[in-house]
Amino acid sequence: MEKNKLRMFNEGPVEILLVEDNPGDVRLTREIFKECNVPHVLHVVKDGEEAMAFLRQEGDYQDVKRPALILLDLNLPCKDGREVLAEIKKDGALQRIPIVVLTTSAAKEDIFQAYQLHANCYILKPVDLDQFQNVVQGLSEFWLRIVELPSRYE
Amino acid sequence: MANPLSNAQLQILMVEDDVIDKELIEDELRRAEINFTARRVETRDDFLKELKNVSPDVILSDYSLPHFSGLEALQLVKERMPSTPFILVTGSLTEETAVECMKAGASDYVIKEHLVRLGSAVRGALERKIAMEEKEWAQAEFRKIAADLARSNQELERFAYVASHDLQEPLRMVSNFVQLLARRYQGRLDADADDFIRFVVDGVKRMKNLIDGLLEYSRAGREGEQLVPTDCGEALNQALENLRVTIQESNASITRDPLPTVLSESVQLTELFQNLIGNAMKFHNHQCPRVHIGVQCHGGEWIFSVRDNGIGIDPKYTERIFDVFQRLHSAHKYPGTGIGLAICKKIVQRHGGRIWVESQPGQGATFYFTIPLFEREPTWKKTS
Repeated sequence: MEKNKLRMFNEGPVEILLVEDNPGDVRLTREIFKECNVPHVLHVVKDGEEAMAFLRQEGDYQDVKRPALILLDLNLPCKDGREVLAEIKKDGALQRIPIVVLTTSAAKEDIFQAYQLHANCYILKPVDLDQFQNVVQGLSEFWLRIVELPSRYE
Repeated sequence: MANPLSNAQLQILMVEDDVIDKELIEDELRRAEINFTARRVETRDDFLKELKNVSPDVILSDYSLPHFSGLEALQLVKERMPSTPFILVTGSLTEETAVECMKAGASDYVIKEHLVRLGSAVRGALERKIAMEEKEWAQAEFRKIAADLARSNQELERFAYVASHDLQEPLRMVSNFVQLLARRYQGRLDADADDFIRFVVDGVKRMKNLIDGLLEYSRAGREGEQLVPTDCGEALNQALENLRVTIQESNASITRDPLPTVLSESVQLTELFQNLIGNAMKFHNHQCPRVHIGVQCHGGEWIFSVRDNGIGIDPKYTERIFDVFQRLHSAHKYPGTGIGLAICKKIVQRHGGRIWVESQPGQGATFYFTIPLFEREPTWKKTS
């Protein structure tokens, strides 16, 4: 019984989409995720337009898998994170993918707006590496181990 | 500003039906060594025409004329050029009428029998006009400077906020990657490399503290919320609660007077107490810190005091310590960024008060700050 149930799940590495324009942050997130020892694939796009193309499997992204989790920076060139957030949460095919807002903005308006647009959580990028590691570890512990992601059932 | 009393020719407009009286008045003005040209009118229409065309420096008006009156002329002047001196020069004037004219805005009145007073009346009226204009000019200038200052302060605050916020971004990169470097390569490069990395890490930490401080300073004392009646005792309780761990660790004893209610923003008041009491506990040597928070009412304001038995401050530094990033000790001996008292000063100033310190080295310090008395709205305002 248990075996049958298990077979229904997607058991591969978790696909994560990181929407981030700063190469330093991309690399840092990659490095820290590596140290967390959770099987994952980290895809990176640099702005909002690319993010939407990736999620809708358009253009260069026709063969990618839909991610199980999105890490979204708010301040992006062209289409910024807030617009991406709003667009995803309005799209019936994408709205159930959890979105973690990962940003440096501690502005009250940004925090309120992100949650109003149905962000699943809002996290500040810490300046200190140990704290950043704690954040990424906490993230992967919660979203990749504790939480049942909808993608596992697709 | 040109002084019409100096040597410029005064344009005098007379409202006068008697040509001989006009001559007498002109004689008297000449006798008083006033340089002038005079024109005479006796009807309302001519008066208005002259007002418009000549805009006289002084108006000398009779009280009653066949087709016009002094009071009517005065009213027209007050409506059109209220600062122009208007002197009644008349044959007879009862005290009631004189009072009525002065109330209506006449500058002075001269009885024709005492025409000898005319010169000084004209001079006095002009002097008062100039003084009034200078005062108005100074007030306008003052308002302009105050507005400029407010704008430039606002810009500065905005700049500090944006700069400190944007500076954090690159700093975060430096900080994170050098820490990553340290973590992965510590002991695998040579001893010099480890030292260098340590210096970078240390520098980044200090820079982060400074930027955080700047950010905090730019936010502190902002005129965000309206000032409302606030219980200082409550604000102090909150400050002590925030400092609980430090108070326990330093074994400090803290005493207080009963505190009043003032117009404030409680968050800022708490921050003020917290910074001052935090400092009082920090800057001491080995003995247990004792801190007393007192208050007295004096000269229309509350004078709060935070007195400690710490290391004290050399009087020659008592001004400087309220400036941003000013420190008197190495960060090693007494950690901090030098932002706390600058924030206190900003908060106190926002409340319309002053802050200062009285101290001698080794004999503790007392920080004082004032907040204007909070007076309830007088009851007569509501009933009348």
